[in-house]
Amino acid sequence: MAIIKAQKTTARAAPLSETSVVGWLHKNLFSSVFNTLLTLVTLYVIYLTLSSVFIWGFWDATFVAENRRECFNNSLTGACWAGVIDWFDNIFYGRYPRDQIWRINFGGLLLALWMAPLWMGRVNGKVLIAVSVIAFYPFLAGYLFAGGSKNLFLQIMVTGAIVAFAINMANMITGLTRRVSLNVFVIQLFGKTSAAEKSQRNLLLLLAGLVYAAVFFWQMSWHVEVVNWTKWGGLFLTLVISGIGIASALPGGIILALGRRSKLPVVRVLSTGFIEIFRSVPLITVLFMATTMFPLFMPEGFVLNKLVQVIIAVVLFNACYMAETVRAGLQAIPKGQFEGAHTIGLGYWGTMGLVVMPQALKHMIPNIVGSFIGLLKDTTLVSIIGLYDILGMLRSISKDVPWIGLHKEPLIFGAILFFTLCFSMSKYSRHLEVKLSAGNKH
Amino acid sequence: MTSVTSQGQLASAASSEVIIEINQMNKWYSDFHVLKDINLTVRKGERIVVCGPSGSGKSTLIRCINALETHQEGDILVDGILLGQNLKNLDHIRTEVGMVFQNFNLFPHLTILENLTLGPIWVRKMAKAEAIETAMMYLERVKIPEQANKYPGQMSGGQQQRVAIARSLCMSPKIMLFDEPTSALDPEMIKEVLDVMVELADTGMTMIVVTHEMGFAKTIADEVIFMDEGDIVETNDPAGFFGNPQHARTQKFLNQIL
Repeated sequence: MAIIKAQKTTARAAPLSETSVVGWLHKNLFSSVFNTLLTLVTLYVIYLTLSSVFIWGFWDATFVAENRRECFNNSLTGACWAGVIDWFDNIFYGRYPRDQIWRINFGGLLLALWMAPLWMGRVNGKVLIAVSVIAFYPFLAGYLFAGGSKNLFLQIMVTGAIVAFAINMANMITGLTRRVSLNVFVIQLFGKTSAAEKSQRNLLLLLAGLVYAAVFFWQMSWHVEVVNWTKWGGLFLTLVISGIGIASALPGGIILALGRRSKLPVVRVLSTGFIEIFRSVPLITVLFMATTMFPLFMPEGFVLNKLVQVIIAVVLFNACYMAETVRAGLQAIPKGQFEGAHTIGLGYWGTMGLVVMPQALKHMIPNIVGSFIGLLKDTTLVSIIGLYDILGMLRSISKDVPWIGLHKEPLIFGAILFFTLCFSMSKYSRHLEVKLSAGNKH
Repeated sequence: MTSVTSQGQLASAASSEVIIEINQMNKWYSDFHVLKDINLTVRKGERIVVCGPSGSGKSTLIRCINALETHQEGDILVDGILLGQNLKNLDHIRTEVGMVFQNFNLFPHLTILENLTLGPIWVRKMAKAEAIETAMMYLERVKIPEQANKYPGQMSGGQQQRVAIARSLCMSPKIMLFDEPTSALDPEMIKEVLDVMVELADTGMTMIVVTHEMGFAKTIADEVIFMDEGDIVETNDPAGFFGNPQHARTQKFLNQIL
């Protein structure tokens, strides 16, 4: 016999225990006598911890003082933040000449402006912007931070960076105000919208060439005072090392991972060997090798400065770790994707670049950002081989005569700083994941 | 206009020009002999249905034609190009031969339109506007132009498979291979895909279809091939194949599935 439900059941609101705060509290914290007891004890422990932290770090703390003695006179039970505040410039910029600090800030500002369009929905050409920042910015920033005379190559790259930056900014402005990319805007400006594609491209190239030439002559007269790398330090140095590490580890890792999966035996064996050697050695060993052993292998009179050696070591080390991350991502891509790409005639690079990598990289975002966070923290190891990065600077505070013996506060400040940096990276990666997976659910 | 003969069969479009020729082809997966002494001639516009029990080598056979698999012995000649030795030939063959898979193999990170224009833009070096125009034309033909800006994951299996067919057609191939195109689909979606394939057959496309859809085979096939354990056991026209199968294994197979 058939059983028929004649009327459609209408949806009702969920019971209050599922949706209200009180319902949640009751269900999760006070569901039984034992749970209630546990909740109260936990709350008390949290209160004890937080209140003592608050009293030490804020209520009893000294923020303004000339030296540690004054801090003690003010309060024996509170933190002495005055020492940290007094050293702010050192913590952030190391021993960089104080009248030149604007160069670091200006470099940071340029980077922020350069990358800003990446977060603007209306601006086109994001891939180009990302590539230009990796290809050109390091040279401009390097020149800005180090100063001195520039050879022809550096002049070419610095000019390239300025032109790329200017185009990027102009493109951002036309994107924001007129919702078109710069090239379209320029074509319209010259009234060439109906011209053939080739003549349009020639016009754009000509204009870019003119701008390039003008900038090149303009920058030839620039003189920026030399700041020796030994004066670089603090958070600035940490960010330089980890920034270069982050920017080059990913491309390097991709190349090594592809090499390891290559069908050519020589490429495969070399990549695998390189990856395995670097992964089996601690970073600190690689750093020591780079600074003490590496110069022995170089021809006589070939002097690289220590900072460059350290950066190369960090880059290679992290590229190897990144290679394994990328390889894991590549292995997660089903074979059908490769076959699908082959059947529409894509070759190796087309398949990798257009089909496989975009998917693999998306899957790998959490791991990649995890590596980046690890890299940022690992760079503190350079303080062991005598570079005054942020950790080195924080530890020097306790050796400074007015603040002698001040260990706790600087390190806690450093921890907060690192937490802020790393946590924002982690949050941003989460945001990226959600954003990128919004459109295409499998 | 679909031209159907009195038996409900699509009129043959086969010409006399040979487009695929397979000669004494053998293939092994390490020690396992998958394809044994395969001989097959396909004429331009001919529609061939390959059937047989699973593991009989049907998919491997058509994957060899597309050079997704390499054979060890014998010759495969596709559109006058000899497969096997030259990597350049491989890329060329793949642009001439379209393939549709059981699991669609669409690119999940691209929209439907991007899936369709990827090949024409990057391989055929077509201008973007022209590629989009072509893509939209084929989407109309598989009856889902309104889905152009969706992602594959937002569509049903039947729609995805029709997109996969359109994606192959965008490369204007001379031959289309179908590897069990309806096996991963829910029953109510099989028809929409088969309809598209029948229409494609009607345009005179050379097709080799691995399928278990016997009704479909009866409608479009010029020739049905039955494979078992790596052998081509029986080759016949559909009427003969279904009405009067010769080989004992064919009879057994047909008894089990019909």
